Amino acid sequence: MDENVKLEAKGIYKEFDEENPITILRDVSFVAKKQEFVSFVGPSGCGKTTLFNIIAGLLEPTGGNIYIDSEQTTGTVSSQIGYVLQKDLLLPWRTIEENVILGLEVRGMKKSEAKDRATEYFKSYKLDGYQKKYPSELSGGMKQRVALMRTMIMEPEIILMDEAYKALDYPLKIDLESELLSTVKENKKTVIYITHDIEEAVTLSDRVYIMKARPGEIVREMEIDLGVDSTRMNERRASKKFNDYYETIWQSMGTSK
Amino acid sequence: MQNTAAVAASGKRMSAMKMKKLEGNVKLRIAQIGFLAVLLLLWEVGARMGWISTFLFASPGKICDTLSNRIASGELFHDIWVTGKETVLGFLFGSLLGSFLGLLLWCSEFVAKFSKPYVAAIGSIPVMVLSPLVIIWFGTGIASKVAIVTFSCIFVSLSSAYEGAMQVDPDLLNLMRSFGASKFQIFCKVVVPSSMTWVVSGFKMNIGFAIVGAIVGEYISSDAGIGHMILMGSNSFHIHVTLAGLVTTMVFVFVLNIAVGALEKVLLRWKR
Repeated sequence: MDENVKLEAKGIYKEFDEENPITILRDVSFVAKKQEFVSFVGPSGCGKTTLFNIIAGLLEPTGGNIYIDSEQTTGTVSSQIGYVLQKDLLLPWRTIEENVILGLEVRGMKKSEAKDRATEYFKSYKLDGYQKKYPSELSGGMKQRVALMRTMIMEPEIILMDEAYKALDYPLKIDLESELLSTVKENKKTVIYITHDIEEAVTLSDRVYIMKARPGEIVREMEIDLGVDSTRMNERRASKKFNDYYETIWQSMGTSK
Repeated sequence: MQNTAAVAASGKRMSAMKMKKLEGNVKLRIAQIGFLAVLLLLWEVGARMGWISTFLFASPGKICDTLSNRIASGELFHDIWVTGKETVLGFLFGSLLGSFLGLLLWCSEFVAKFSKPYVAAIGSIPVMVLSPLVIIWFGTGIASKVAIVTFSCIFVSLSSAYEGAMQVDPDLLNLMRSFGASKFQIFCKVVVPSSMTWVVSGFKMNIGFAIVGAIVGEYISSDAGIGHMILMGSNSFHIHVTLAGLVTTMVFVFVLNIAVGALEKVLLRWKR
C-alpha cells in the first residue's frame, strides 16, 4: 500500500435488514492521504452519517474494511481518530475547561495535568478566560470551537467532521472554517469532512468524493487545486477556478439523481 | 465615555425592571395572605355566631388553641418527630435506592426488559393494600412505617431515574466511546449526571408519596405521630384536633419542599 495513505476504505457495504433489507452504502472505496483534506459531498440520504460512523469505528460495515496506516481497524475505535459533529455535545454540567479535558480524563490523565495542557489550547483558540464558564453561557460559535478543542487536545492524526458548522450563521461559519483550515494545516492533520454544501467542500478540500443517494455510492472523485495559499475562506473562494469546480460537482450530483 | 454612560443607563433600566418585578411579587403575596385571612376570619365569625357548627367544623381559634396547648406540652413536637423520622428515613431509602437501581438498569438492557413487568406489577399495588402486611411483617414500631414509606417512594424514583438514563443523547455515548471510555466511565461521567434532572423530579414527587405512606402506616397501627393525632381526633369527634393535625401536615410538607428545593439548587447548579 502507498506510504502516503493515512486512511483507506475498501469496498464498504452497509445493509440494514429489518423486514426488507435496504442497502445504505454500496461498494464505497476511498483513500485519505497524509495531511490531506478530503470531503464527501452528496444529497441527504446518501449514507454520509452511516459512512462517518463506520470510519469512526462506531459501526460495523456489512462488508469491506477500513485501514489506518495500512492496518485493518474495521469496527474498532481508533485513538488516531477524533471527531466533531454538528451538535457540539458539550456536557452542560461541566465547565468549559472540564469539557475540554473530558477525553484526557477518560484516558486516565490527572485532572491537574490535563488542565495544564489545556491552557495553551485556550490561548490559541481565543477562549482564554472562559475556562470556568458553563456551556449555557457561550454562543453557538464558541461552543463549536470548544468542541474542536476537545477533539484536538487528544492529538488525533485524523479528524472526522460531519456538517460541523451547519447550524451557524454565514459570517461565523466562514470564520470558523478559516480557523479550522489553518489549524489542521499547521498541525499536519488529515481531515475527512462530510457535507452537503458544495461551496464548502470546494473551498476547504484537496480532494472531493461526490456521492449519490439510495444506495449511497461514490460517483466521482475530484482533485481540487484552487491555486491559493491562503487559508481564509473568502480569499480561497475568490479563486478563478472556484466556479469551474463548483459547476462540475453540481453537474455530477445532478446527473447522478 | 458614551459607552460607560450607556452601560450605566442600561444598568439603571435593569434595576428599575427588577424593582418593578419585586413590587409585583410583594403585591401578590399580600393579596394571597389577605385572601386567607378573610377566609379564616369568616370561619371564626361564623363559628362564634353559630352559623357554622363547631362540632363538625371546629374554628380557627380552637385549632390554634389546640396547637399551642400541644406545643406547650411537647406533644406536638413528639408527633412531628415520630412522623418526621418515618417520612424522612423512608423517603431517603426509597428515593436513593430507587434512583440507584433505575440508573443501574441502564447498564443492562436484558435486566431492564426482564424486570419491566415485575416493576410495573409491584409498583401498581396501592400502598393502602400492602400496609397491613407490612405491619404484620415489621411490627407496629417505626420499622414498619419506614418500610411503607420506602415502598411508596422506590418505584417513582426507579422509573424516573431509568427514564432519565434512557434519554441520554446516543451521540454523546458515541463520543465517549470514541475517547475509548469504558462502560463504567460512560455511566459515571455522562449517564448519572445527565439523569440528575430526572432523579430530582422523582425526589419532588416522592415528598407527597412519603407523607401519605407515613400517615397511612400510622392509621393502621401507631401510638404517636401526626397520623395518630389525626385519627385520634376524628375517632373521638374532636374535629379541632384532626384539623390541627392537617395544618401540621401542611407545614411539614412545606418544609420538606424547601429542603428538596435546596437539594435541587445544589445538584443542578449548572442550570440557571
